[in-house]
Amino acid sequence: MSTVAKRALIAGLRWTSLRLRLVVVFALVALTAAVSVAGIAYWLNREAVLTRTQDTALNDFRQAMQDRVAKLPLQPTQAELQSAAQQMAAMSAKPGYSVLLVDSREAGKPVVGYSDLDAFTLKDVPPKLQEQVNRKQPITAGNAYPYHLFWVRTNLRSSPYLVGGAKVIGGGPTGYMLTSLKQERDDLNSLAWSLGIATGLALLGSALLAQAAATTVLKPVQRLGDAARRLGEGKLDTRLRVSGTDELADLSRTFNRTAAQLEKKVADMSAREEASRRFVADMSHELRTPLTAITAVAEVLEDEADSLDPMIAPAVHLVVSETRRLNDLVENLMEVTRFDAGTARLVLDDVDVMDQVTACLDARAWLDAVELDGERGLMVRLDPRRLDVILANLVGNALKHGGSPVHVSVRALDGELVIEVRDNGPGIPADVLPHVFDRFYKASASRPRSEGSGLGLSIAMENAHIHGGDISAANSPEGGAVFTLRLPRDAEAAEAAVDESRTDDAQVREEQS
Amino acid sequence: MGALQLSNSYAPMGQNGRVPFLLLIEDDDAIRTALELSLTRQGHRVATAATGEDGLKLLREQRPDLIVLDVMLPGIDGFEVCRRIRRTDQLPIILLTARSDDIDVVVGLESGADDYVVKPVQGRVLDARIRAVLRRGEREANDAASFGSLVIDRSAMTVTKNGEDLQLTPTELRLLLELSRRPGQALSRQQLLRLVWEHDYLGDSRLVDACVQRLRAKVEDVPSSPTLIRTVRGVGYRLDTPS
Repeated sequence: MSTVAKRALIAGLRWTSLRLRLVVVFALVALTAAVSVAGIAYWLNREAVLTRTQDTALNDFRQAMQDRVAKLPLQPTQAELQSAAQQMAAMSAKPGYSVLLVDSREAGKPVVGYSDLDAFTLKDVPPKLQEQVNRKQPITAGNAYPYHLFWVRTNLRSSPYLVGGAKVIGGGPTGYMLTSLKQERDDLNSLAWSLGIATGLALLGSALLAQAAATTVLKPVQRLGDAARRLGEGKLDTRLRVSGTDELADLSRTFNRTAAQLEKKVADMSAREEASRRFVADMSHELRTPLTAITAVAEVLEDEADSLDPMIAPAVHLVVSETRRLNDLVENLMEVTRFDAGTARLVLDDVDVMDQVTACLDARAWLDAVELDGERGLMVRLDPRRLDVILANLVGNALKHGGSPVHVSVRALDGELVIEVRDNGPGIPADVLPHVFDRFYKASASRPRSEGSGLGLSIAMENAHIHGGDISAANSPEGGAVFTLRLPRDAEAAEAAVDESRTDDAQVREEQS
Repeated sequence: MGALQLSNSYAPMGQNGRVPFLLLIEDDDAIRTALELSLTRQGHRVATAATGEDGLKLLREQRPDLIVLDVMLPGIDGFEVCRRIRRTDQLPIILLTARSDDIDVVVGLESGADDYVVKPVQGRVLDARIRAVLRRGEREANDAASFGSLVIDRSAMTVTKNGEDLQLTPTELRLLLELSRRPGQALSRQQLLRLVWEHDYLGDSRLVDACVQRLRAKVEDVPSSPTLIRTVRGVGYRLDTPS
């Protein structure tokens, strides 16, 4: 696995399993706490129980040694030792308590007394303990006695036992005791079980708590995430309900503030844009009134130009042609503002496309400069005026930049009307290509300054879009630019999305009847 | 004879060589002056009014052949003027609209206008439209045809339904005549625009639709379920003889 993939996986885990991570952390904390508490409790308990049992047993033993053994005669017989041992064992109420007394009548002749021969013999006493018990210690300031009581915990036949031993000071017999710790072990075992079960329950509880915590934390986080996504989708009125005073509530408040500011800013911006758009629309409207008067009069002047002073005539022609240009510009501006405001509507009709194309070229005296390829009889439902605008712009553009002959082909392809306009020019530079449909984009470096308004191709594109179609620009492999217009054969669907014209209402009414 | 005889008198240059008399209603001084100048030079006699009220008064006094009507007028607007004229008169009306906003065009056509031009308009274009509208009232030397209870007398330029004269505008009459010339044959909106309105290939098909609606209201028994002027989906309109 590559490092990148690994990192992505880790990052993915980090975010997708926040819940899992919370559970794990909670469980770990609970486990540590439970184990340490249980461990300490167990250990303290064990020590306390064992020490108490041991102290009791050893005290009893010591007492018995003093009471019984010290009263034995020197060099006692085996029977005396035996009965002393049995009496000592009987004195203790504790089960599994055995005593062993060892003495020697003469040097090298040991005498042993048992309380229970089956349970406890000298063999059962660890040699180390025997050695310690029988070792005579020097008497110092800190040590008043030559012999001490020693004990050891050991396992005999896989049962825990306490073995203790002491020598009567002054040459008495050596006594050993054995007491079973089985009861204590059983108690401690059941304690360990209880603690284990408690730990398990604590773990389970912590997991449930972690779930609950994860839910209380993750729910708001998820809500926040959803809200952020909605905000990103442009629903700027998205707000979160703020409850509580925790960090998440803080975050929600911050989110709400941010969203409110964003909404306000966007509203301000669109209001400003709307204002400037309306300004352009109003402006072009206002320009129309004087232009109407000027246009009407300019024509009168033009008719009279021939009879005017030869110095004046060119001026009149200039006024007339510039008036027309101004008309076109205002007309284009109005068209653009209608598209921007979304008030542009289709006026659909069933037309023969070739007739329309021919008429469009004919009306502009372009028929000689254009090679037309296509057949009559291709009926398409569209807005003839808008098709004319598109064609006039595409062909006009081709003639201006590419020069004649411009090749126009009309055909139906997959339920679409496809009109291709190809010129013979140098083509469109790669850096200009993405911008050819931009408003007022002038590729002045490589192309002569546009004589048009700079809105032509943009308007052509808008007109294609309102039909549900599109225009694409590319360079032909044989050289020259190719503009391809695609329109649906029936723009009815596109029109239905925009508006239902009264014409169609009338038709529908009639068809229902 | 009523309106149809009236429409006769609209026919200007065609038969008696009379100069067409226009009424121009336009509130903007500059436009009114300029258009008056332009139209006069095109050979029309022009009376002008600055408001709808003045225009309606002039209409009663002077009986023009055609009205060129601005939509945006102070007081009563162009649509209202148009509706008021249509209540009594069938004389042709061309709307002069500063806005090519589609809703305006539709409202204008519904209020009974015969044609519309968008400002800024060239004088020549306006003149061509005016002459085209006026030609619609011209008499044809021809016979009569009947479609059910509807009788079209092409020589007298009258239409009767169940023996009663129908009040048709010249445009409505011309549309009916063109359809009746090719009974049972569907004509496309673009064809009708050329034949009736004399528009070029960019004619607004809504002119045809609006005029068909008005015509149906006058000639059909039940305008919402027409039996005479039928819509041919994907083509246009057709005049049928009811069976």
